Amino acid sequence: MANALLNLFLKRSVALPPNKLLIKASAATIHTSQSKSAGKWFPDAEFMKQFNGPVMYPNEAITEWALPPWENRAAPTEKQVKNITLNFGPQHPAAHGVLRLVLELDGELVKRSDPHIGLLHRGTEKLIEYKTYTQALPYFDRLDYVSMMCNEQCYSLAIEKLLGIDIPLRAKYIRTLFAEITRILNHIMGITTHALDIGALTPFFWLFEEREKLMEFYERVSGARMHAAYIRPGGVSLDLPIGLLDDIYDFSRKFNERLDEVEDVLTTNRLWMQRTVDVGIVSAEDALNYGFSGVMLRGSGIKWDLRKSQPYDAYHLVDFDVPIGVKGDCYDRYLCRLEEMRQSLRIIEQCINKMPPGEIKTDDAKLTPPPRAEMKTSMEALIHHFKLFTQGFQVPPGATYTAVEAPKGEFGVYLVSDGSSKPYRCKIKAPGFAHLAALDKIGKNHFLADIVAIIGTLDIVFGEVDR
Amino acid sequence: MTSSIKLFSLGRAGVNLLRPSVFGVSPIFRNYASKGEYIIVTDKEPCMDMKDITDRAATTMFALELARGFGVTLGSLFKEPATINYPFEKGPLSPRFRGEHALRRYPSGEERCIACKLCEAVCPAQAITIEAEPREDGSRRTTRYDIDMTKCIYCGFCQEACPVDAIVEGPNFEFSTETHEELLYNKEKLLLNGDRWESEIAANIHADHLYR
Amino acid sequence: MAKFLGLDKLAKLVQIVKDNGGVKASLYKLYRFDDLRTGKLVGVDKYGNKYYENPTFFFGRSRWVEYADYYGMDYDGSQIPAEWFGWMHYKTDLPPMEDPSRPKYKWMLDHVENLSGTPEQYVPYSTTPSKIKAWVPPKRT
Repeated sequence: MANALLNLFLKRSVALPPNKLLIKASAATIHTSQSKSAGKWFPDAEFMKQFNGPVMYPNEAITEWALPPWENRAAPTEKQVKNITLNFGPQHPAAHGVLRLVLELDGELVKRSDPHIGLLHRGTEKLIEYKTYTQALPYFDRLDYVSMMCNEQCYSLAIEKLLGIDIPLRAKYIRTLFAEITRILNHIMGITTHALDIGALTPFFWLFEEREKLMEFYERVSGARMHAAYIRPGGVSLDLPIGLLDDIYDFSRKFNERLDEVEDVLTTNRLWMQRTVDVGIVSAEDALNYGFSGVMLRGSGIKWDLRKSQPYDAYHLVDFDVPIGVKGDCYDRYLCRLEEMRQSLRIIEQCINKMPPGEIKTDDAKLTPPPRAEMKTSMEALIHHFKLFTQGFQVPPGATYTAVEAPKGEFGVYLVSDGSSKPYRCKIKAPGFAHLAALDKIGKNHFLADIVAIIGTLDIVFGEVDR
Repeated sequence: MTSSIKLFSLGRAGVNLLRPSVFGVSPIFRNYASKGEYIIVTDKEPCMDMKDITDRAATTMFALELARGFGVTLGSLFKEPATINYPFEKGPLSPRFRGEHALRRYPSGEERCIACKLCEAVCPAQAITIEAEPREDGSRRTTRYDIDMTKCIYCGFCQEACPVDAIVEGPNFEFSTETHEELLYNKEKLLLNGDRWESEIAANIHADHLYR
Repeated sequence: MAKFLGLDKLAKLVQIVKDNGGVKASLYKLYRFDDLRTGKLVGVDKYGNKYYENPTFFFGRSRWVEYADYYGMDYDGSQIPAEWFGWMHYKTDLPPMEDPSRPKYKWMLDHVENLSGTPEQYVPYSTTPSKIKAWVPPKRT
């Protein structure tokens, strides 16, 4: 028995010359034994000899050793402990895009959250400096890519302010109409994905059916379902196609019921309330100090809405309420968003009813391209057409900060013009950026799962945060 | 006693029970006559009438709000699904749809593009490359008209800029490819697109000509 | 009474199966198109795709195409020709043969489906002669 064991050890360990190998002509064995046994000690015969006799009995030396006391309490050694750092995203489905969060966890409590942004940075602001005013417009669709037309509207308003022009009333109503459609689009996205992150999947499917219809409106009016490039400096690019207002009206009559369904499932649901009430509380003071805007500000009870405080386009002509919250938690903001959608329906209906016939863009030939029929018959119009599509229009020197109440908050464009046809500087103020910056403040000492709820309620979109 | 009767007559007291009174007026019946103000949408102080207390207690005890939610969910189970069976059914599109580019021809078969390069100038993504030379008959035509469809952002500025309706964004959106190279369209490809899609492109332009 | 017992649904099913050409053909269609319905045959294009309409379905499902048999399971959305594209996408209610405004020029080409991934796929090439002419070393005489 012992011999066999010994033999086995010897076979495995000692690098025997090939002629003494027990397995003949085994090149593989030589190869492995050579490489593996280099510089290692393996038990040899002498070593194995000591185990021949009994080994477990105490000998003289061992019997003199002192026993440890029976109540052995050695002082615990000091250890260096560190909080777990967790990488959240950038491919986490609840990160709403490409958010990367570095979370410092104490157990399951989030002690510090550090948003890493820039994964969707495209250098939009710099690109805009090298484009004419017309060409820069599609970039704005792609900033906050769930509220496309509001961004365009802000940019167009900024240019109109620099140019000092007013647009026709019909264009104003169309803009307001589509800004509110955009608001519904955005809030559908915001609320349902928020619910989805928390675990309520069903409203997502219900409201995305409605969102599909809104995208269809986008498509019918502009030709693209998302990146519309519809609202232009000086008005809108094309008039509404016939029958569109009927369908929008039809939608606005029915959408309230869809919202009621969602409210039936979510609003008083105890599971939803447990996940949102008192989660992510932002006090009114903090909301102001951190530069919040939009629902994040109104959810904390601050009465501030740019549509009310400095109405643009046709907002001074329509009646609507602005919902505000009290506590500033996720639940209040959810209620605000829901109510904003209902108010948007109200505005949409008023826009449809009050919209006058007439022009949809300014008739300033130096600013807006002529209609195609005119362009093909009139030499002057053709010259203007060529001028506008090559050089673009010139904007007098000046600077403006123009902001609109985008669905996510105050979306602003700081536009500096040097009198040429390209902006000298275009700074984009995105609401999501300020909101995300406060994530550390809001999410402190929340559970990890609540961070997801807070990201959902912040309603951040990385197109505008990273720009 | 009255309150227990109320619990069982769930149907009649439906609105009150199903939409608890903590929310004040239910959104369906909210008065939309206001001229515009700031309204608080969150919970008011819960009403401490006996009726409301029992309502709330019943809601909590019997999980009525969950039952209501499940009821709505169950109801939508019997609704016709809103999904369509692509590619056999297709969603609605408008004549304004901006899809795959195409270069058109005059009815005589002569190509429209005169190489004015307006589209190249206006393209925000600089996806269009044009080179032009006079042809043998002396007319100015492009020798190169390349569109990098992977750069293109489908803003439609090129078709707006084109003074002769040569470049259009056609109705086709089913041109996905397996490789990048296939999306680097050249003049021949664009003209072929135009020849194949002319029927639909002309119909679209005709449908929308009053607005353009 | 039949309606109350749900027998009309059964009759409808039998009708659908009958319209689709018997049990075997219906099963094949169900396998190929993931759906089995009956509707009015609006037209057939030159490639053999059949276009159906049944307005009892909601807008968006009320028009459908059955791709020609020789496509087998290799049907694709791009096999619908340009003439039928507008009808299929609810742009117009007129099928192309009833629409007089559709142009028919002799230079118009046949529809081609999306050929990506096949040997006939589009390969880009330059349409201009190269601007650089390679220097050809003069031959020694």
